[in-house]
Amino acid sequence: MTTTLETPPRTDPPRPTRRRPRLGFSAGMMAPGIVLLAILSIVPLLTIIAMSFSRVRLLGGVGFDGAGLTYWVRLFTDIDLAMQWVRTIVFFALTVGLEMLLGLIFALCLWKLMRGRNAILSLFLLPMFVAPVIVGLLGRFLTDSTFGLYSWLLGLIGYQGDILGGQYSAFAAVVAMDIWEWTPLITLIALAGLTSVPASVREAAAIDGANPWQTLRHVILPSISGVLLVALLIRSMDAIRYFDIIAVTTNGGPADATKVVPIRLYETAFRFFDLGYAAAIGLVMLAVTIAIARAFVGVLERKGLTR
Amino acid sequence: MSHVDRTPGRARVGILLIVAIGLLWTLVPLLWMALSSFKSAGDVTAAEPKLFFEPTLRNYQRLFSGANNLGPYIWHSMLAAGISSVLALIVGTIAGYGLSTTRMRGKKHVAFWIISTRMAPIAVVVLPLFLLFRGAGLIDSIPGLVLAYLTFNLPFAIWLMSAFFTEVPAALQESALVEGCTRWQAFWHVVLPLTKSGLVTTFVLCLVFSWNDYAFALVFGGPNSQTLPIAADQLVTQTGIDWGQLTAIGTIVVLPMMLAGLAVRRWLVTGLTLGAVTGE
Repeated sequence: MTTTLETPPRTDPPRPTRRRPRLGFSAGMMAPGIVLLAILSIVPLLTIIAMSFSRVRLLGGVGFDGAGLTYWVRLFTDIDLAMQWVRTIVFFALTVGLEMLLGLIFALCLWKLMRGRNAILSLFLLPMFVAPVIVGLLGRFLTDSTFGLYSWLLGLIGYQGDILGGQYSAFAAVVAMDIWEWTPLITLIALAGLTSVPASVREAAAIDGANPWQTLRHVILPSISGVLLVALLIRSMDAIRYFDIIAVTTNGGPADATKVVPIRLYETAFRFFDLGYAAAIGLVMLAVTIAIARAFVGVLERKGLTR
Repeated sequence: MSHVDRTPGRARVGILLIVAIGLLWTLVPLLWMALSSFKSAGDVTAAEPKLFFEPTLRNYQRLFSGANNLGPYIWHSMLAAGISSVLALIVGTIAGYGLSTTRMRGKKHVAFWIISTRMAPIAVVVLPLFLLFRGAGLIDSIPGLVLAYLTFNLPFAIWLMSAFFTEVPAALQESALVEGCTRWQAFWHVVLPLTKSGLVTTFVLCLVFSWNDYAFALVFGGPNSQTLPIAADQLVTQTGIDWGQLTAIGTIVVLPMMLAGLAVRRWLVTGLTLGAVTGE
Protein backbone atom coordinates (compact mmCIF):
# COMPACT_ATOMS: atom_id res chain seq x y z
CA MET A 1 0.00 0.00 0.00
CA THR A 2 2.81 2.41 0.81
CA THR A 3 4.19 1.95 -2.70
CA THR A 4 1.25 3.82 -4.17
CA LEU A 5 2.28 6.89 -2.20
CA GLU A 6 5.72 6.85 -3.78
CA THR A 7 4.43 6.36 -7.30
CA PRO A 8 4.55 9.56 -9.32
CA PRO A 9 1.41 10.83 -11.09
CA ARG A 10 0.09 8.60 -13.91
CA THR A 11 1.06 11.02 -16.69
CA ASP A 12 4.74 10.29 -16.10
CA PRO A 13 6.30 7.85 -18.52
CA PRO A 14 7.41 4.56 -16.96
CA ARG A 15 10.55 5.12 -14.99
CA PRO A 16 13.44 2.75 -14.51
CA THR A 17 13.02 3.06 -10.74
CA ARG A 18 10.22 0.47 -11.04
CA ARG A 19 12.69 -2.25 -10.08
CA ARG A 20 12.76 -1.14 -6.47
CA PRO A 21 9.18 -1.71 -5.35
CA ARG A 22 9.22 -5.16 -6.97
CA LEU A 23 9.51 -7.08 -3.73
CA GLY A 24 7.26 -4.56 -2.03
CA PHE A 25 4.42 -5.14 -4.46
CA SER A 26 4.43 -8.92 -4.19
CA ALA A 27 4.78 -8.80 -0.43
CA GLY A 28 1.96 -6.27 -0.26
CA MET A 29 -0.27 -8.58 -2.30
CA MET A 30 0.56 -11.52 -0.07
CA ALA A 31 0.10 -9.63 3.18
CA PRO A 32 -3.69 -9.84 3.70
CA GLY A 33 -3.85 -13.52 2.85
CA ILE A 34 -0.81 -14.41 4.92
CA VAL A 35 -2.02 -12.46 7.94
CA LEU A 36 -5.48 -14.06 7.77
CA LEU A 37 -3.97 -17.50 7.33
CA ALA A 38 -1.62 -16.91 10.24
CA ILE A 39 -4.56 -16.05 12.48
CA LEU A 40 -6.47 -19.10 11.24
CA SER A 41 -3.58 -21.54 11.62
CA ILE A 42 -1.00 -20.35 14.13
CA VAL A 43 -3.47 -19.38 16.84
CA PRO A 44 -5.16 -22.80 16.74
CA LEU A 45 -1.75 -24.51 16.61
CA LEU A 46 -0.57 -22.71 19.75
CA THR A 47 -3.91 -23.45 21.37
CA ILE A 48 -3.73 -27.18 20.69
CA ILE A 49 -0.15 -27.31 21.98
CA ALA A 50 -1.23 -25.53 25.15
CA MET A 51 -4.21 -27.88 25.45
CA SER A 52 -1.97 -30.94 25.38
CA PHE A 53 -0.23 -29.71 28.54
CA SER A 54 -3.36 -28.68 30.42
CA ARG A 55 -6.56 -29.85 31.93
CA VAL A 56 -9.13 -27.82 30.02
CA ARG A 57 -12.15 -26.45 31.85
CA LEU A 58 -15.26 -25.70 29.81
CA LEU A 59 -17.79 -24.77 32.47
CA GLY A 60 -17.86 -21.18 33.61
CA GLY A 61 -15.73 -19.97 30.72
CA VAL A 62 -12.85 -21.71 29.03
CA GLY A 63 -9.86 -22.19 31.32
CA PHE A 64 -6.57 -24.09 31.41
CA ASP A 65 -5.03 -25.78 34.46
CA GLY A 66 -1.47 -26.98 34.07
CA ALA A 67 -1.23 -30.75 33.71
CA GLY A 68 2.44 -31.05 32.84
CA LEU A 69 3.34 -34.09 30.82
CA THR A 70 0.41 -36.21 32.04
CA TYR A 71 -1.18 -36.58 28.61
CA TRP A 72 2.05 -37.14 26.78
CA VAL A 73 3.04 -39.90 29.18
CA ARG A 74 -0.40 -41.44 28.72
CA LEU A 75 -0.03 -41.16 24.96
CA PHE A 76 2.99 -43.43 24.96
CA THR A 77 1.51 -45.99 27.35
CA ASP A 78 -1.96 -46.25 25.80
CA ILE A 79 -2.30 -49.77 24.38
CA ASP A 80 -5.73 -49.00 22.88
CA LEU A 81 -4.31 -46.04 21.03
CA ALA A 82 -1.45 -48.15 19.70
CA MET A 83 -4.01 -50.64 18.38
CA GLN A 84 -5.93 -47.78 16.78
CA TRP A 85 -2.78 -46.59 15.05
CA VAL A 86 -2.18 -50.10 13.71
CA ARG A 87 -5.78 -50.18 12.47
CA THR A 88 -5.36 -46.74 10.91
CA ILE A 89 -2.24 -47.92 9.07
CA VAL A 90 -4.01 -51.04 7.81
CA PHE A 91 -7.03 -48.98 6.71
CA PHE A 92 -4.71 -46.47 5.08
CA ALA A 93 -2.62 -49.10 3.27
CA LEU A 94 -5.69 -50.99 2.03
CA THR A 95 -7.65 -47.99 0.80
CA VAL A 96 -4.78 -46.03 -0.72
CA GLY A 97 -3.13 -49.18 -2.13
CA LEU A 98 -6.29 -50.49 -3.78
CA GLU A 99 -7.25 -47.03 -5.01
CA MET A 100 -3.84 -46.64 -6.67
CA LEU A 101 -4.06 -50.08 -8.27
CA LEU A 102 -7.67 -49.88 -9.46
CA GLY A 103 -7.32 -46.22 -10.44
CA LEU A 104 -4.29 -47.01 -12.58
CA ILE A 105 -5.90 -50.03 -14.23
CA PHE A 106 -8.99 -48.03 -15.07
CA ALA A 107 -6.90 -45.13 -16.39
CA LEU A 108 -4.98 -47.50 -18.67
CA CYS A 109 -8.24 -48.95 -20.00
CA LEU A 110 -9.73 -45.51 -20.59
CA TRP A 111 -6.54 -44.40 -22.27
CA LYS A 112 -6.73 -47.26 -24.75
CA LEU A 113 -10.35 -46.32 -25.39
CA MET A 114 -10.38 -43.44 -27.81
CA ARG A 115 -14.08 -43.08 -28.46
CA GLY A 116 -16.26 -41.91 -25.59
CA ARG A 117 -13.32 -41.48 -23.23
CA ASN A 118 -14.39 -38.07 -21.98
CA ALA A 119 -18.01 -39.02 -21.40
CA ILE A 120 -17.03 -42.19 -19.51
CA LEU A 121 -14.46 -40.31 -17.45
CA SER A 122 -17.11 -37.72 -16.49
CA LEU A 123 -19.45 -40.42 -15.25
CA PHE A 124 -16.64 -42.19 -13.46
CA LEU A 125 -15.64 -38.98 -11.61
CA LEU A 126 -19.07 -38.44 -10.03
CA PRO A 127 -18.38 -40.15 -6.65
CA MET A 128 -15.66 -37.58 -5.86
CA PHE A 129 -18.28 -34.85 -5.55
CA VAL A 130 -20.54 -36.79 -3.21
CA ALA A 131 -20.34 -35.54 0.37
CA PRO A 132 -18.56 -38.24 2.45
CA VAL A 133 -21.51 -38.28 4.89
CA ILE A 134 -23.80 -39.21 2.04
CA VAL A 135 -21.34 -41.90 0.92
CA GLY A 136 -21.51 -43.36 4.41
CA LEU A 137 -25.29 -43.16 4.72
CA LEU A 138 -25.74 -44.56 1.21
CA GLY A 139 -23.39 -47.38 2.17
CA ARG A 140 -25.59 -48.15 5.16
CA PHE A 141 -28.64 -48.15 2.91
CA LEU A 142 -27.06 -50.52 0.39
CA THR A 143 -25.74 -52.94 3.00
CA ASP A 144 -28.78 -53.03 5.27
CA SER A 145 -29.42 -56.66 6.13
CA THR A 146 -33.15 -56.59 5.42
CA PHE A 147 -33.56 -54.38 2.33
CA GLY A 148 -30.09 -53.33 1.15
CA LEU A 149 -29.47 -53.78 -2.57
CA TYR A 150 -25.94 -55.08 -2.04
CA SER A 151 -26.88 -57.40 0.81
CA TRP A 152 -29.57 -58.79 -1.45
CA LEU A 153 -27.02 -59.32 -4.26
CA LEU A 154 -24.63 -60.97 -1.83
CA GLY A 155 -27.52 -63.11 -0.62
CA LEU A 156 -27.96 -64.40 -4.18
CA ILE A 157 -24.42 -65.76 -4.11
CA GLY A 158 -24.89 -67.23 -0.67
CA TYR A 159 -23.59 -64.62 1.75
CA GLN A 160 -26.05 -64.05 4.57
CA GLY A 161 -25.29 -61.79 7.46
CA ASP A 162 -25.26 -58.24 8.72
CA ILE A 163 -22.40 -56.63 6.82
CA LEU A 164 -21.87 -53.66 9.15
CA GLY A 165 -22.45 -55.90 12.17
CA GLY A 166 -19.49 -58.22 11.69
CA GLN A 167 -16.01 -57.04 12.58
CA TYR A 168 -14.26 -58.03 9.38
CA SER A 169 -17.15 -57.34 7.05
CA ALA A 170 -17.69 -53.87 8.59
CA PHE A 171 -14.02 -53.05 8.10
CA ALA A 172 -14.19 -54.31 4.50
CA ALA A 173 -17.34 -52.27 3.92
CA VAL A 174 -15.84 -48.94 5.04
CA VAL A 175 -12.74 -49.69 2.98
CA ALA A 176 -14.97 -50.35 -0.05
CA MET A 177 -16.86 -47.08 0.47
CA ASP A 178 -13.61 -45.14 0.61
CA ILE A 179 -12.43 -46.89 -2.55
CA TRP A 180 -15.71 -46.10 -4.28
CA GLU A 181 -15.34 -42.41 -3.54
CA TRP A 182 -11.64 -41.88 -4.24
CA THR A 183 -10.50 -44.30 -6.96
CA PRO A 184 -11.73 -41.77 -9.57
CA LEU A 185 -9.21 -39.22 -8.29
CA ILE A 186 -6.33 -41.59 -9.04
CA THR A 187 -7.82 -42.41 -12.46
CA LEU A 188 -8.13 -38.72 -13.27
CA ILE A 189 -4.52 -37.95 -12.32
CA ALA A 190 -3.05 -41.09 -13.92
CA LEU A 191 -4.98 -40.45 -17.15
CA ALA A 192 -3.58 -36.92 -17.30
CA GLY A 193 -0.11 -38.43 -16.99
CA LEU A 194 -0.82 -41.05 -19.67
CA THR A 195 -2.15 -38.58 -22.22
CA SER A 196 1.04 -36.55 -21.89
CA VAL A 197 3.28 -39.52 -22.79
CA PRO A 198 4.46 -38.55 -26.27
CA ALA A 199 3.32 -40.88 -29.07
CA SER A 200 6.89 -41.04 -30.36
CA VAL A 201 8.03 -42.79 -27.19
CA ARG A 202 5.43 -45.53 -27.66
CA GLU A 203 6.19 -45.87 -31.35
CA ALA A 204 9.88 -46.23 -30.61
CA ALA A 205 9.15 -49.03 -28.14
CA ALA A 206 6.95 -50.78 -30.72
CA ILE A 207 9.64 -50.48 -33.41
CA ASP A 208 12.18 -51.97 -31.00
CA GLY A 209 9.90 -54.99 -30.85
CA ALA A 210 8.54 -54.53 -27.35
CA ASN A 211 5.26 -56.33 -26.69
CA PRO A 212 2.42 -54.36 -25.05
CA TRP A 213 3.29 -55.66 -21.59
CA GLN A 214 6.96 -54.71 -21.94
CA THR A 215 5.98 -51.29 -23.27
CA LEU A 216 3.76 -50.75 -20.24
CA ARG A 217 6.33 -52.01 -17.76
CA HIS A 218 9.45 -50.35 -19.13
CA VAL A 219 8.23 -47.33 -21.06
CA ILE A 220 4.82 -46.09 -19.93
CA LEU A 221 4.89 -46.70 -16.19
CA PRO A 222 8.34 -45.12 -15.72
CA SER A 223 7.28 -42.04 -17.65
CA ILE A 224 4.22 -41.47 -15.46
CA SER A 225 5.89 -42.40 -12.18
CA GLY A 226 6.17 -38.74 -11.12
CA VAL A 227 2.46 -38.18 -11.72
CA LEU A 228 1.60 -41.37 -9.82
CA LEU A 229 3.72 -40.22 -6.89
CA VAL A 230 1.80 -36.94 -6.77
CA ALA A 231 -1.47 -38.91 -6.81
CA LEU A 232 -0.24 -41.13 -4.00
CA LEU A 233 0.81 -38.23 -1.79
CA ILE A 234 -2.36 -36.18 -2.40
CA ARG A 235 -4.51 -39.19 -1.61
CA SER A 236 -2.42 -40.05 1.47
CA MET A 237 -2.89 -36.63 3.00
CA ASP A 238 -6.63 -36.72 2.36
CA ALA A 239 -6.92 -40.26 3.71
CA ILE A 240 -5.72 -39.00 7.09
CA ARG A 241 -7.82 -35.85 6.84
CA TYR A 242 -11.26 -37.34 6.42
CA PHE A 243 -13.11 -39.72 8.71
CA ASP A 244 -16.75 -38.85 7.88
CA ILE A 245 -17.53 -42.18 6.24
CA ILE A 246 -16.60 -44.22 9.30
CA ALA A 247 -18.22 -41.68 11.61
CA VAL A 248 -21.67 -42.13 10.06
CA THR A 249 -21.54 -45.85 9.29
CA THR A 250 -20.00 -47.72 12.20
CA ASN A 251 -18.59 -44.89 14.33
CA GLY A 252 -15.69 -47.14 15.27
CA GLY A 253 -17.68 -50.30 15.93
CA PRO A 254 -18.50 -53.12 16.02
CA ALA A 255 -16.23 -53.92 18.97
CA ASP A 256 -13.75 -51.23 17.87
CA ALA A 257 -13.17 -52.99 14.54
CA THR A 258 -13.19 -49.71 12.59
CA LYS A 259 -11.95 -47.34 15.29
CA VAL A 260 -9.20 -45.41 13.55
CA VAL A 261 -7.25 -42.60 15.23
CA PRO A 262 -9.41 -39.66 14.03
CA ILE A 263 -12.53 -41.41 15.38
CA ARG A 264 -10.75 -41.98 18.69
CA LEU A 265 -9.78 -38.30 18.79
CA TYR A 266 -13.38 -37.20 18.21
CA GLU A 267 -14.67 -39.55 20.85
CA THR A 268 -12.03 -38.47 23.38
CA ALA A 269 -12.71 -34.81 22.75
CA PHE A 270 -16.43 -34.53 22.19
CA ARG A 271 -17.91 -37.49 24.00
CA PHE A 272 -15.64 -37.72 27.04
CA PHE A 273 -14.49 -34.08 26.87
CA ASP A 274 -10.94 -35.14 27.66
CA LEU A 275 -9.67 -32.25 25.54
CA GLY A 276 -6.07 -32.30 26.73
CA TYR A 277 -5.54 -35.92 25.78
CA ALA A 278 -7.32 -35.42 22.46
CA ALA A 279 -4.91 -32.55 21.75
CA ALA A 280 -1.90 -34.80 22.33
CA ILE A 281 -3.35 -37.43 19.97
CA GLY A 282 -4.05 -34.71 17.42
CA LEU A 283 -0.52 -33.32 17.50
CA VAL A 284 0.89 -36.75 16.60
CA MET A 285 -1.56 -36.93 13.67
CA LEU A 286 -0.46 -33.49 12.58
CA ALA A 287 3.19 -34.55 12.64
CA VAL A 288 2.38 -37.47 10.33
CA THR A 289 0.60 -35.25 7.79
CA ILE A 290 3.40 -32.69 7.85
CA ALA A 291 5.89 -35.45 7.03
CA ILE A 292 3.78 -36.43 3.99
CA ALA A 293 3.37 -32.79 2.97
CA ARG A 294 7.17 -32.44 3.14
CA ALA A 295 7.51 -35.33 0.69
CA PHE A 296 4.87 -33.77 -1.60
CA VAL A 297 6.68 -30.44 -1.73
CA GLY A 298 9.94 -32.34 -2.26
CA VAL A 299 8.46 -33.95 -5.38
CA LEU A 300 7.25 -30.59 -6.64
CA GLU A 301 10.63 -28.99 -6.09
CA ARG A 302 12.38 -31.73 -8.00
CA LYS A 303 10.02 -31.01 -10.87
CA GLY A 304 10.83 -27.31 -10.50
CA LEU A 305 7.19 -26.43 -9.95
CA THR A 306 7.50 -24.27 -6.88
CA ARG A 307 10.48 -22.37 -8.27
CA MET B 1 -6.16 -42.99 -33.00
CA SER B 2 -3.76 -45.43 -34.47
CA HIS B 3 -2.86 -47.41 -31.38
CA VAL B 4 -6.44 -48.41 -30.75
CA ASP B 5 -6.53 -50.22 -34.08
CA ARG B 6 -3.42 -52.10 -33.10
CA THR B 7 -5.02 -53.34 -29.89
CA PRO B 8 -5.85 -56.98 -30.64
CA GLY B 9 -9.51 -57.98 -30.54
CA ARG B 10 -9.32 -60.02 -27.38
CA ALA B 11 -7.56 -57.30 -25.43
CA ARG B 12 -10.14 -54.82 -26.63
CA VAL B 13 -12.98 -56.96 -25.30
CA GLY B 14 -11.14 -57.17 -21.98
CA ILE B 15 -10.76 -53.42 -21.82
CA LEU B 16 -14.43 -52.84 -22.59
CA LEU B 17 -15.38 -55.36 -19.93
CA ILE B 18 -13.28 -53.62 -17.26
CA VAL B 19 -14.73 -50.24 -18.23
CA ALA B 20 -18.25 -51.64 -18.02
CA ILE B 21 -17.64 -53.14 -14.57
CA GLY B 22 -16.04 -49.89 -13.39
CA LEU B 23 -19.02 -47.89 -14.55
CA LEU B 24 -21.53 -50.24 -12.91
CA TRP B 25 -19.61 -50.13 -9.61
CA THR B 26 -19.55 -46.35 -9.80
CA LEU B 27 -23.05 -45.59 -10.94
CA VAL B 28 -25.29 -48.24 -9.35
CA PRO B 29 -25.19 -46.67 -5.84
CA LEU B 30 -25.94 -43.21 -7.23
CA LEU B 31 -28.75 -44.39 -9.46
CA TRP B 32 -30.17 -46.49 -6.64
CA MET B 33 -30.17 -43.45 -4.36
CA ALA B 34 -31.95 -41.28 -6.95
CA LEU B 35 -34.44 -44.07 -7.71
CA SER B 36 -35.19 -44.74 -4.04
CA SER B 37 -35.94 -41.08 -3.42
CA PHE B 38 -39.02 -41.49 -5.64
CA LYS B 39 -40.27 -44.61 -3.90
CA SER B 40 -43.01 -44.87 -1.34
CA ALA B 41 -42.10 -45.98 2.19
CA GLY B 42 -43.08 -49.57 1.50
CA ASP B 43 -41.12 -49.79 -1.75
CA VAL B 44 -37.90 -48.31 -0.29
CA THR B 45 -37.53 -51.03 2.30
CA ALA B 46 -38.95 -53.90 0.27
CA ALA B 47 -37.04 -57.09 1.02
CA GLU B 48 -36.73 -57.77 -2.70
CA PRO B 49 -35.25 -54.62 -4.32
CA LYS B 50 -37.74 -53.09 -6.70
CA LEU B 51 -36.59 -51.73 -10.02
CA PHE B 52 -40.11 -50.96 -11.17
CA PHE B 53 -42.50 -49.14 -8.89
CA GLU B 54 -45.02 -46.34 -8.85
CA PRO B 55 -42.98 -43.13 -8.55
CA THR B 56 -44.02 -40.56 -5.98
CA LEU B 57 -42.79 -37.10 -5.00
CA ARG B 58 -43.89 -37.59 -1.42
CA ASN B 59 -40.38 -37.79 0.02
CA TYR B 60 -39.48 -34.41 -1.46
CA GLN B 61 -42.79 -32.86 -0.48
CA ARG B 62 -42.33 -33.97 3.11
CA LEU B 63 -38.81 -32.50 3.19
CA PHE B 64 -40.20 -29.07 2.49
CA SER B 65 -43.25 -29.10 4.70
CA GLY B 66 -44.01 -29.71 8.31
CA ALA B 67 -41.66 -29.90 11.28
CA ASN B 68 -38.34 -30.73 9.67
CA ASN B 69 -38.40 -28.27 6.81
CA LEU B 70 -35.18 -28.46 4.83
CA GLY B 71 -35.29 -24.81 3.75
CA PRO B 72 -33.17 -23.35 6.60
CA TYR B 73 -30.58 -26.11 6.21
CA ILE B 74 -30.16 -25.33 2.52
CA TRP B 75 -29.89 -21.63 3.30
CA HIS B 76 -27.22 -22.25 5.97
CA SER B 77 -25.26 -24.48 3.62
CA MET B 78 -25.40 -21.89 0.86
CA LEU B 79 -24.36 -19.08 3.18
CA ALA B 80 -21.49 -20.89 4.90
CA ALA B 81 -20.07 -22.54 1.78
CA GLY B 82 -20.73 -19.56 -0.50
CA ILE B 83 -19.32 -16.82 1.71
CA SER B 84 -16.23 -18.78 2.68
CA SER B 85 -15.53 -19.70 -0.97
CA VAL B 86 -15.92 -16.11 -2.18
CA LEU B 87 -13.66 -14.81 0.60
CA ALA B 88 -11.10 -17.54 -0.04
CA LEU B 89 -11.15 -16.78 -3.76
CA ILE B 90 -10.68 -13.00 -3.36
CA VAL B 91 -7.98 -13.10 -0.68
CA GLY B 92 -6.39 -16.23 -2.14
CA THR B 93 -6.17 -14.81 -5.67
CA ILE B 94 -4.42 -11.66 -4.52
CA ALA B 95 -2.08 -13.53 -2.18
CA GLY B 96 -1.52 -16.25 -4.79
CA TYR B 97 -0.37 -13.64 -7.28
CA GLY B 98 2.00 -12.25 -4.67
CA LEU B 99 3.33 -15.72 -3.96
CA SER B 100 3.88 -16.50 -7.65
CA THR B 101 5.79 -13.27 -8.32
CA THR B 102 7.72 -12.75 -5.10
CA ARG B 103 11.44 -13.35 -4.95
CA MET B 104 11.82 -13.13 -1.22
CA ARG B 105 14.18 -15.56 0.41
CA GLY B 106 11.89 -17.46 2.75
CA LYS B 107 9.44 -18.20 -0.08
CA LYS B 108 9.89 -21.97 0.08
CA HIS B 109 9.09 -22.00 3.77
CA VAL B 110 6.02 -19.82 3.32
CA ALA B 111 4.80 -22.13 0.53
CA PHE B 112 5.32 -25.19 2.70
CA TRP B 113 3.51 -23.60 5.61
CA ILE B 114 0.55 -22.83 3.34
CA ILE B 115 0.28 -26.37 1.99
CA SER B 116 0.64 -28.00 5.39
CA THR B 117 -2.16 -25.78 6.69
CA ARG B 118 -4.38 -27.10 3.91
CA MET B 119 -3.48 -30.69 4.66
CA ALA B 120 -3.85 -30.59 8.44
CA PRO B 121 -6.26 -33.34 9.59
CA ILE B 122 -9.74 -31.92 10.14
CA ALA B 123 -10.04 -33.48 13.60
CA VAL B 124 -6.85 -31.65 14.61
CA VAL B 125 -8.19 -28.29 13.43
CA VAL B 126 -11.63 -28.76 14.94
CA LEU B 127 -10.23 -29.32 18.42
CA PRO B 128 -8.53 -25.95 19.13
CA LEU B 129 -11.14 -24.07 17.10
CA PHE B 130 -13.82 -25.53 19.36
CA LEU B 131 -12.16 -23.88 22.39
CA LEU B 132 -11.43 -20.62 20.57
CA PHE B 133 -14.96 -20.41 19.14
CA ARG B 134 -16.46 -21.14 22.54
CA GLY B 135 -14.44 -18.31 24.01
CA ALA B 136 -15.41 -15.96 21.17
CA GLY B 137 -19.09 -16.96 21.07
CA LEU B 138 -18.81 -18.25 17.49
CA ILE B 139 -20.37 -21.67 18.17
CA ASP B 140 -23.64 -22.13 16.28
CA SER B 141 -23.16 -19.15 13.99
CA ILE B 142 -22.66 -18.75 10.24
CA PRO B 143 -19.54 -16.56 10.74
CA GLY B 144 -18.07 -19.39 12.81
CA LEU B 145 -18.61 -21.89 10.01
CA VAL B 146 -17.24 -19.43 7.43
CA LEU B 147 -14.06 -19.04 9.49
CA ALA B 148 -13.80 -22.79 10.00
CA TYR B 149 -14.08 -23.41 6.24
CA LEU B 150 -11.51 -20.71 5.54
CA THR B 151 -8.95 -22.79 7.46
CA PHE B 152 -8.86 -25.16 4.49
CA ASN B 153 -10.24 -23.04 1.65
CA LEU B 154 -7.86 -20.11 2.05
CA PRO B 155 -4.56 -22.06 1.86
CA PHE B 156 -6.05 -24.10 -0.98
CA ALA B 157 -6.99 -20.96 -2.94
CA ILE B 158 -3.62 -19.26 -2.35
CA TRP B 159 -1.64 -22.30 -3.44
CA LEU B 160 -3.81 -23.19 -6.44
CA MET B 161 -4.11 -19.64 -7.79
CA SER B 162 -0.37 -19.26 -7.43
CA ALA B 163 0.02 -22.40 -9.57
CA PHE B 164 -2.35 -20.97 -12.21
CA PHE B 165 -0.48 -17.64 -12.22
CA THR B 166 2.89 -19.28 -12.84
CA GLU B 167 1.39 -20.71 -16.05
CA VAL B 168 0.88 -17.19 -17.44
CA PRO B 169 3.93 -16.24 -19.54
CA ALA B 170 6.06 -13.68 -17.72
CA ALA B 171 6.66 -11.86 -21.01
CA LEU B 172 3.02 -10.71 -21.06
CA GLN B 173 3.36 -8.99 -17.71
CA GLU B 174 6.70 -7.45 -18.65
CA SER B 175 5.30 -5.96 -21.82
CA ALA B 176 2.34 -4.57 -19.90
CA LEU B 177 4.78 -2.89 -17.54
CA VAL B 178 6.76 -1.49 -20.45
CA GLU B 179 3.53 -0.09 -21.89
CA GLY B 180 3.23 1.93 -18.71
CA CYS B 181 0.88 -0.13 -16.61
CA THR B 182 1.35 -0.17 -12.86
CA ARG B 183 1.92 -3.62 -11.42
CA TRP B 184 -1.65 -3.67 -10.16
CA GLN B 185 -2.95 -2.77 -13.60
CA ALA B 186 -0.82 -5.50 -15.17
CA PHE B 187 -2.32 -7.95 -12.69
CA TRP B 188 -5.88 -6.73 -13.08
CA HIS B 189 -6.08 -6.14 -16.84
CA VAL B 190 -3.57 -8.62 -18.24
CA VAL B 191 -2.95 -11.55 -15.91
CA LEU B 192 -6.35 -11.98 -14.29
CA PRO B 193 -8.38 -12.28 -17.53
CA LEU B 194 -5.97 -15.04 -18.61
CA THR B 195 -6.65 -17.07 -15.48
CA LYS B 196 -10.46 -17.04 -15.67
CA SER B 197 -10.59 -20.84 -15.81
CA GLY B 198 -8.31 -20.97 -12.78
CA LEU B 199 -10.58 -18.62 -10.86
CA VAL B 200 -13.69 -20.67 -11.67
CA THR B 201 -11.96 -23.96 -10.82
CA THR B 202 -10.67 -22.65 -7.51
CA PHE B 203 -14.10 -21.31 -6.59
CA VAL B 204 -15.91 -24.52 -7.52
CA LEU B 205 -13.51 -26.73 -5.57
CA CYS B 206 -13.70 -24.48 -2.50
CA LEU B 207 -17.48 -24.66 -2.78
CA VAL B 208 -17.48 -28.47 -3.04
CA PHE B 209 -15.13 -28.90 -0.05
CA SER B 210 -17.17 -26.66 2.24
CA TRP B 211 -20.63 -27.73 1.01
CA ASN B 212 -19.69 -31.35 1.68
CA ASP B 213 -18.19 -30.71 5.13
CA TYR B 214 -19.53 -32.77 7.99
CA ALA B 215 -16.87 -32.76 10.72
CA PHE B 216 -16.82 -28.99 11.33
CA ALA B 217 -20.59 -28.58 11.08
CA LEU B 218 -21.09 -31.44 13.52
CA VAL B 219 -19.11 -29.71 16.28
CA PHE B 220 -19.76 -26.04 15.54
CA GLY B 221 -23.30 -26.21 14.23
CA GLY B 222 -26.49 -25.64 16.17
CA PRO B 223 -30.11 -24.75 15.54
CA ASN B 224 -29.09 -21.47 13.89
CA SER B 225 -26.43 -22.86 11.59
CA GLN B 226 -27.10 -26.51 10.77
CA THR B 227 -26.13 -27.45 7.24
CA LEU B 228 -27.44 -30.06 4.80
CA PRO B 229 -25.01 -32.88 5.69
CA ILE B 230 -26.12 -32.52 9.31
CA ALA B 231 -29.76 -32.63 8.25
CA ALA B 232 -29.07 -35.94 6.53
CA ASP B 233 -27.27 -37.28 9.58
CA GLN B 234 -30.12 -36.23 11.87
CA LEU B 235 -32.59 -38.45 10.03
CA VAL B 236 -30.67 -41.34 11.55
CA THR B 237 -32.42 -41.82 14.87
CA GLN B 238 -32.65 -44.51 17.50
CA THR B 239 -36.14 -45.45 16.37
CA GLY B 240 -35.18 -45.99 12.77
CA ILE B 241 -34.29 -44.29 9.56
CA ASP B 242 -36.68 -42.86 7.00
CA TRP B 243 -34.71 -44.00 3.97
CA GLY B 244 -37.08 -42.42 1.49
CA GLN B 245 -36.39 -38.97 2.91
CA LEU B 246 -32.72 -39.72 3.42
CA THR B 247 -32.17 -40.67 -0.22
CA ALA B 248 -34.07 -37.53 -1.22
CA ILE B 249 -31.77 -35.34 0.91
CA GLY B 250 -28.78 -37.21 -0.49
CA THR B 251 -29.89 -36.41 -4.02
CA ILE B 252 -30.37 -32.75 -3.12
CA VAL B 253 -26.90 -32.53 -1.51
CA VAL B 254 -25.10 -34.35 -4.29
CA LEU B 255 -26.63 -33.07 -7.53
CA PRO B 256 -25.48 -29.41 -7.49
CA MET B 257 -21.90 -30.35 -6.60
CA MET B 258 -21.73 -32.92 -9.40
CA LEU B 259 -22.90 -30.36 -11.92
CA ALA B 260 -20.45 -27.76 -10.61
CA GLY B 261 -17.61 -30.27 -10.58
CA LEU B 262 -18.24 -31.49 -14.11
CA ALA B 263 -18.46 -27.90 -15.33
CA VAL B 264 -14.76 -27.46 -14.53
CA ARG B 265 -13.72 -30.98 -15.53
CA ARG B 266 -10.97 -29.80 -17.87
CA TRP B 267 -9.11 -28.15 -15.00
CA LEU B 268 -9.93 -30.69 -12.31
CA VAL B 269 -6.53 -32.39 -12.53
CA THR B 270 -4.73 -29.12 -11.96
CA GLY B 271 -7.11 -28.19 -9.17
CA LEU B 272 -7.12 -31.45 -7.27
CA THR B 273 -3.35 -31.95 -7.47
CA LEU B 274 -2.90 -28.33 -6.35
CA GLY B 275 -1.15 -27.51 -9.60
CA ALA B 276 1.33 -30.40 -9.46
CA VAL B 277 -0.10 -32.08 -12.58
CA THR B 278 -1.63 -30.25 -15.51
CA GLY B 279 -4.05 -32.00 -17.82
CA GLU B 280 -5.09 -31.80 -21.47
